[in-house]
Amino acid sequence: MSTFAPFPCGRYQSAPLSRREWLSRFGNGFGLTAFTALLNDPAFGAVDSTSPGSQRNNALHGTHHPAKAKSVIFLYMDGGPSQVDSFDPKPLLDRYNGQNPSQYFKVEATQFNNNGTVLASPWKFQNHGESGTPVSSLFPNIAKCVDDLCVVRSMVSEFPEHTFANYFLHTGSGLQGRPSMGAWVHYGLGSVNQNLPGFVVINGGLIPPGGLDCFGSGFLPASYQGSVFKPSGTAVANVQRMEKTVERQKSKLALINELDQLAQKQFGTHDGIDSAIRNYELASQMQSAVPELMAFADEPKSIQTMYGIDAPYELTRTFATECLMARRLVERGVRFIELTCPNGAGDRWDQHANLKQGHENNARAVDQPIAALLTDLKQRGLLDETLVVWAGEFGRTPFAQGKDGRDHNPFGFSIWLAGGGIKPGIVYGATDEWGYKAIENRTEMHDLHATMLHLLGVDHTRSTFRFGGRDMRLTDVKGNVIHKILA
Amino acid sequence: MFTNLHPMLRSIACILLAAIFAANGHGQDTNSESPPSATAEQIEFFERSIRPLLVEHCYECHSGTAKKVQAGFRLDSGHGLRRGGDSGTAVNLEKPSESLFLQSIRYESFEMPPKGKLAKQDIALFEKWILMGAPWPKEEAPAANKDSQAFPWEERKAKHWAWRPVQVSPVPAVKESSWPRNPIDHYILSRLEQKGISPALPADLHALVRRLCMDLIGLPPTVEQIVSLEKDSSPQAIENLVDSLLRSPHFGERWGRHWLDLVRFAESRGHEFDNDAPYAYQYRDYVIRGLNADVPYDQWIREHIAGDLLESPRLHPEERFNESILGTGFWHLGEWVHSPVDIRKDETDRFDNMIDVMSKTFLGLTVSCARCHDHKFDPISSQDYYALSGFLQGSEYREVRFESLEHNRSLAQELAQLDRSYRDRLDQLFDPLVSPEERALRKKLAEKRELPSELQGKSIVDYGNLPNDHYFQDGDAFGPEPSRVGQWRLGKEVDGSVPNLEWSLHATASSDPFWNGLTSREKENERQKSKLLGLPRSGRTLRTPSFQLDQGKVQCRVRGSGHVIACVDSHRLVAGPLHGETIVKIGTPNQFAWVTLHLDRYQGHRFHLEFSPDVDATLDVERVLQGATPEELKLLDDRENESIKQSSLLRSSYESALAKDNEATQKEAELRKGWYEARKDLRSRIRKESHLAMAMWDGNGEDDHLLIRGNASKPGPSVPRRFLMALDGSAPMSIEHGTGRRALAERLIDPNNPFTTRVAANRVWHHLMGRGIVPTTDDFGMLGQPPSHPELLDHLANRFREDGYSLKKLIRYIVLSQSYRMGIQASPEALALDPKNELWHAQQPKRLEGEIIRDQLLAISGKLDPTLFGDSVPIHLTSFMDGRGRPGKSGPLDGAGRRSIYIEVRRNFLSPFFLAFDTPVPFSTMGRRNVSNVPAQALILMNDPLVVELTQKWAQRTIEAYPKEEQADWMHRVENMYLTALGRHPSDQEMHTAITFVRRTADQEGVSSLEVWSDLAHALVNMKEFIFLR
Repeated sequence: MSTFAPFPCGRYQSAPLSRREWLSRFGNGFGLTAFTALLNDPAFGAVDSTSPGSQRNNALHGTHHPAKAKSVIFLYMDGGPSQVDSFDPKPLLDRYNGQNPSQYFKVEATQFNNNGTVLASPWKFQNHGESGTPVSSLFPNIAKCVDDLCVVRSMVSEFPEHTFANYFLHTGSGLQGRPSMGAWVHYGLGSVNQNLPGFVVINGGLIPPGGLDCFGSGFLPASYQGSVFKPSGTAVANVQRMEKTVERQKSKLALINELDQLAQKQFGTHDGIDSAIRNYELASQMQSAVPELMAFADEPKSIQTMYGIDAPYELTRTFATECLMARRLVERGVRFIELTCPNGAGDRWDQHANLKQGHENNARAVDQPIAALLTDLKQRGLLDETLVVWAGEFGRTPFAQGKDGRDHNPFGFSIWLAGGGIKPGIVYGATDEWGYKAIENRTEMHDLHATMLHLLGVDHTRSTFRFGGRDMRLTDVKGNVIHKILA
Repeated sequence: MFTNLHPMLRSIACILLAAIFAANGHGQDTNSESPPSATAEQIEFFERSIRPLLVEHCYECHSGTAKKVQAGFRLDSGHGLRRGGDSGTAVNLEKPSESLFLQSIRYESFEMPPKGKLAKQDIALFEKWILMGAPWPKEEAPAANKDSQAFPWEERKAKHWAWRPVQVSPVPAVKESSWPRNPIDHYILSRLEQKGISPALPADLHALVRRLCMDLIGLPPTVEQIVSLEKDSSPQAIENLVDSLLRSPHFGERWGRHWLDLVRFAESRGHEFDNDAPYAYQYRDYVIRGLNADVPYDQWIREHIAGDLLESPRLHPEERFNESILGTGFWHLGEWVHSPVDIRKDETDRFDNMIDVMSKTFLGLTVSCARCHDHKFDPISSQDYYALSGFLQGSEYREVRFESLEHNRSLAQELAQLDRSYRDRLDQLFDPLVSPEERALRKKLAEKRELPSELQGKSIVDYGNLPNDHYFQDGDAFGPEPSRVGQWRLGKEVDGSVPNLEWSLHATASSDPFWNGLTSREKENERQKSKLLGLPRSGRTLRTPSFQLDQGKVQCRVRGSGHVIACVDSHRLVAGPLHGETIVKIGTPNQFAWVTLHLDRYQGHRFHLEFSPDVDATLDVERVLQGATPEELKLLDDRENESIKQSSLLRSSYESALAKDNEATQKEAELRKGWYEARKDLRSRIRKESHLAMAMWDGNGEDDHLLIRGNASKPGPSVPRRFLMALDGSAPMSIEHGTGRRALAERLIDPNNPFTTRVAANRVWHHLMGRGIVPTTDDFGMLGQPPSHPELLDHLANRFREDGYSLKKLIRYIVLSQSYRMGIQASPEALALDPKNELWHAQQPKRLEGEIIRDQLLAISGKLDPTLFGDSVPIHLTSFMDGRGRPGKSGPLDGAGRRSIYIEVRRNFLSPFFLAFDTPVPFSTMGRRNVSNVPAQALILMNDPLVVELTQKWAQRTIEAYPKEEQADWMHRVENMYLTALGRHPSDQEMHTAITFVRRTADQEGVSSLEVWSDLAHALVNMKEFIFLR
């Protein structure tokens, strides 16, 4: 695997490069041809020394400093898992269980405006590992991996509504149409795999509120958008050939190539057209790479069992497949892999009622596969260069919604990170004694994004794209790398 | 008071993380009195305990050394501390413990420092310090804060080319005088000659014909067209082709799609459940019709900004409906959120998008950058932004019965006249019959009555005492004005006999049953959870002026059946869990009663009410109050009952006076009959059915408040409505009534505004020449790129205006230039001297858009259904298109053969085919699409079932035309396929290759002729030439 050498000062290079020059210089990278086509368009990348602002479009700017992580696996916990039931124990909730929370603290407006009493966690917490990080009994398997985790207990979001919060978590903006973090990573670093997209979303069955645009490329070129894979069947749209036999397809592809050459002979070559021709090679490589990716039968039985491919609970099996695919994608050099939750565990992690049942089903689906993923990455020496992030779009209220649910809470919640240059076995930040609001080391979404990019070797302030009169960033004008959680 | 603790976010927002104490504009001293004199001990305490804490925890954001001073608040001098910032004073010396500074560090209001709460003992130190009067030694404030300088708009305006007036320059001379066909070519060639570059040779006829067809109508030339042009070598041939293409109804479809990119056109609202944006297709059809009719661009802008307010709206030529009002639909095509927790913030986000789209589309300016702070580079201030957002306060959304609007409006005028004339005649009849005292009493009862003074502050609207320009309604059902007490009217009709004469006992806004029976042709909704759905509102809704809600209870004195809706902060997508309380049913058919809305949640918000009767019911609205006590309501009931008593008594004496006079009785019966029949006659002419479309609905004008750092919970001073300061000065616009959008439209098209024509001309150039003269078509500001040919741009802008703002004339002018006609093949010398083709030494090969690729596939396969307009074809859903709000049913794979512009655009379920080919996500103006190159494109063209199906149809069609399985017909087939798909003949070698492929494949066992030719057809559409224009 190679990484791209950074340009001097990380600035955009203005010298026009032909597609061939690009390919020879950075001869590996899916979506790269897209970029060369754009380079030839003065509107896209031209440098204008008279214009103010120092940043310009700088696709494939490469790393700004040595990277710790080569890939990211983002375990997206759709709906918002409850912090006080998972990684942030609050004994006070037991003591005041059933009491009116407004007696003790100011209750902010909630999505359902149906606030009940203080609600103790139905799960018991225990300290685990050498680090002694507490984890609730929801996650018995992940608990065994705590010495690899950095639990951040002081995440905050700015939105109590799913869609805004999802866009915010994924794109750094609450509105639709902004590039997803995977798209930014792909834009900045490209992909080291020729045959697979640089940003893959494995759709376990639940597309988050806000839709596929959570994984979109926004104003970035379409080449950077997330490709949705399914953990079953052909995995990807349109990779299955429509010809009856491989020979027929081959002969058709040969004909296309020949006819393209003949046309070029008559009308000359152009970089844009040339790149489009080359695109067919990539597409056909992908057609063979995807089935190879999906050939789980190659995996030893013990590995399959460890992930839970044969688990009794159907949703565990689905998420096990997703996690195994994620590892296989990491091995193949895919930059950014996002996993969405399986469908059927009772409205995602979004337990407005019946917290116990719902959270238990969700945890049961993901606990074993995630622990297996961490273990497997570690035993292959891949965890060091793979950043694993576990997060929902917000947390949940420490008081009940109705009788036995919890409403959305963006004021303080827990996520965890592992591998890829993260300090293992620590807890960072804290919420107040109720687990309601972050009070120590508040961590904003932009800080999380800045830190993720940092570990990938990217300075979040220098990865920009000019759109609508501004140099846009994943972190907007904000974001601080959280140095205290770096190894 | 602190309803919103989550600071507002948006990507265009720039600074707010530490949004403590932000400045209202440009640094005013809010509290500059000298500090109380401090003792030496106090100063020592400050130096020892306080200053180090400030340096450690605050200076990163709140000092002269900060990279950027946050919220305009500095803590590095006593002056800065006392002055405060955007949120006002930081220290309250009268009530020290309530100082915002202390509240913030205690995490009671803001949460400072944002990275974590200070230790308890540190907070205690600060408390002690503030309590002693916040002593600070006398010292100079460190270096001046660069934020506090006045906004330098004049300087910025003078520096940047785009603000200068459009200049007319002489057409430049060229050496190669035979090359130019029109002045455009002089501008292009003179620059090339300066560099010593020769322009590319003209495109061959076939390339040119295909280019023209695709550029102008987005469909390939037919074989017949090509063949006939091959025979016609006259210079007029191409001109004739251009003219016929400009006349084609498909022109509007092609250019309409360009336009829809600017206005983020979509038919659903996105967000969590992707609710319908109903009737959006009416706007799309309006765009197509308007472009086909070549509506002058100035009129186009008027209609978009204020089409609901035009003195004489443009009518559809045949159907005579109001076209102009449909233009205003563009404002409402954005995302909508159901159940926002912070409803005002949601409104400001919607307005932001509306201003963003409006300013980029028409002006090529990024005004929205000034939402949170003055623009970083352009002469656009926050004041400008909020001056514009004022036009949206009071401009409401409605679903208008546009087809019946004009017809029924004129009918309503006739009705008003009729009623007035009969009332006058009845008065004339009655006046001599009654005593002067009775006449005087009747007059007195009809007069406007003031409320008791203690209730005046609680009155939201009083239909017995309403300012003249505050009577708002959608449609005509509530008559031209509120009824007055003692006003004649006809009673309820029973069994078709002439009704009795009555008079109004109440001063109310009353729906007139005359208008019963209106039906709206509503689309069947795919995904619509709005609780407003199904309420018959269009054309029969009364709207109060807007007010601020000070009390939780809103009380309406009404009679009848229907609904009242409190439209809070213009939020309308009421679809649970929150905001259900804004819709209340009215069911008091026979007597007046108080209907109460419980709106505690919205105290301090702006709102108005909308009243609609149920179908075939009536609704009378007398007044609306907020926060009145039961005693006060009783007082008003008593007062009203007293008035009714008097009025009824008087009515009886009028009746008995009439009964005593036979002649008058007969005359009254005649008048009554005449009135009744005339009304009946008018009623038969009502246009009862109409389609609906989203449109603007003007209300009372309101200025918006500047929001400090764009934060909806931090309103600053109000900003009078006006256009951009740098174009129109900073004086408020004079607006007589309403929102003033009509006047705003005129500012946009003022010839002194250089942006409008330049931006439009540049867009046309961009689409035809592959790149704008200003490449950043939506940003003519400092961060955009400067024009490559500024004189040419002004030449085009000027000519556009002189040609009556005709887009078609401008397009014709450009495509008939020699520059447009150049081939794509540049000489090596030209490439060396102008490697990025910035001087247009050749045409750009243009990649076709996803929509056009699909249209082309339909056209060649013979499956294109060329029907124009109408409801959209539902999107075809693949198994990869998943998520909340997924439509229950998938649309047909082939989109029913309709052109791509008629395929439904659902925000959360966009076509993967189109997305792969860079169709933009509809969130903001996108005048210039990305052109990317991804394997998904190849995979789609190779393996998408639609492509496979259509190429097979194409093969079949070709075989049918040349059915013999022999060499000659095979060659005809290949020839025909090249002409159909690529608009040219195959070369000998291409013919040879194709025939060889056919022969080889046909020789394989079990491969039918259709399969062979389908394979060839499929290969041809996978040629890059198929998706590029050469």
